[in-house]
Amino acid sequence: MNSGMRTSASGMIAQQKMVDVIANNLANVNTTGFKRSRASFEDVLYETVQGPRISDGKGVLAPVQIGRGVRLAAITRIHSTGGMQVTGRPLDLAIEGEGFFQVKLPDGRTGYTRDGSFAISDSGQLVTQGGHALVPDLVLPPDTSAVTISENGTVSVSGGASGESIEIGRIEMARFANPSGLLSLGGNLYGETSASGAATTGYAQEDGFGRVMQGTLESSNVEVVQEMTDMIAAQRAYEINARAIRAAEDMMKSIDDLIRY
Amino acid sequence: MPLRSIVNTARALSFYTRRQEIAAHNLANVATDGYKGDRITARQSPGGPWPVPAQTLDLQQGNLRQTGRTLDVALEGSGFFVVKTKDGERLSRGGSFSLDAGGMLVDAHGDAVLGTEGPIAISGREIEIEVDGTIVVDGTPAGRLKMVSVNDQAALRKEGLGHFASSTTPESGAEGRVRQGALEDANVDSITGLVDLLAIQRAWAANTEAMKAMDSVLGTVTSEIGKT
Repeated sequence: MNSGMRTSASGMIAQQKMVDVIANNLANVNTTGFKRSRASFEDVLYETVQGPRISDGKGVLAPVQIGRGVRLAAITRIHSTGGMQVTGRPLDLAIEGEGFFQVKLPDGRTGYTRDGSFAISDSGQLVTQGGHALVPDLVLPPDTSAVTISENGTVSVSGGASGESIEIGRIEMARFANPSGLLSLGGNLYGETSASGAATTGYAQEDGFGRVMQGTLESSNVEVVQEMTDMIAAQRAYEINARAIRAAEDMMKSIDDLIRY
Repeated sequence: MPLRSIVNTARALSFYTRRQEIAAHNLANVATDGYKGDRITARQSPGGPWPVPAQTLDLQQGNLRQTGRTLDVALEGSGFFVVKTKDGERLSRGGSFSLDAGGMLVDAHGDAVLGTEGPIAISGREIEIEVDGTIVVDGTPAGRLKMVSVNDQAALRKEGLGHFASSTTPESGAEGRVRQGALEDANVDSITGLVDLLAIQRAWAANTEAMKAMDSVLGTVTSEIGKT
């Protein structure tokens, strides 16, 4: 078997992965707070097929090393800020700058999200669209008529008989040394890993955290034009590798034809 | 005579197999950041007319592609960054760096990227990498990326995973500008790669045809001569 064929197959598999990643980015072009990913590749180990040898009078010929293709090195999530989309809904929050909202996952761990389209649960708690409660808990009094969230994350409510505005808490945020290392949990949530580092918590507009914008949502950071161009490049590269397999196959076939009966 | 020619042609075919494998490897890595293509040429063997493969590494600059990601680092010009792997120091052309859990600058494999004074620790928010490799975090310098150059290209060997090993000690300091927020494309041109593939196929066909012709001569010789 011509090992060049396997090399080209690895190229096709890599490009297939690239298309998978692009397809996921494109599918989430309208997902609030979604961060695009990027596939990167690396060459695999080399095999020495001919050691260095002395050619007459011309010095030493370098060894011939043949690479055996390519493999996926990493899928890196790009944590750039997406565009801000004004919705006017009081419980839509976007973080302009660094930081994640913290939510409680069903198993008790803390999840992190940039999707700030919150809602109020039946017990008055501030929850995500997925029903996960904000950490630390933020409970709105039952007679609330209006919620104001300032840029530094302070939540004030007004309502009741007096109609006065009272502060009920402040939204805490988390950030990571390496946000690309966070684990995607689906549902716009991320989980902490050893690669991301431990969460540093703090408040908006302090210690480098971004500001909270009420009535705004962060759209995905996917740019359709960029994804489409990458898609075309991946498709072409896929075809080229398929072509190389055909060439290898052709060569094998012509050897096969040499044998006469 | 035809028998020896068949053997020589077979050696030529084995050369073209190598060429095809290398062309396939280059094409498989057409989207690998920082990949440097292999080139193979024929040298005439001292012992006979068949070709012997001679390989060279093509160190031409690849295109720089803007990504905007803070820790994507590419090198413009000759030279290499140094990473510390478990097998020792290796050279690299940059790529998607990141920070590990301890805040150290690492490459895509988690191998530490070395600065002029060892591994670089980064803690802060605004990371700026200047053209000369100085890393500025929140306005204060945190280190400078170590850059080296290798004068003898033949001393360089690819190890896979984007790493290069050098059999000579690389010289410190390199001509090259560090580009933050950019990645270096593979220096493999897919069109040249395809044309190369086509040329290999044709040369292969020519050699197999020659082999067929000699085989039929040999067939005639063995079946006709000595016939009564």
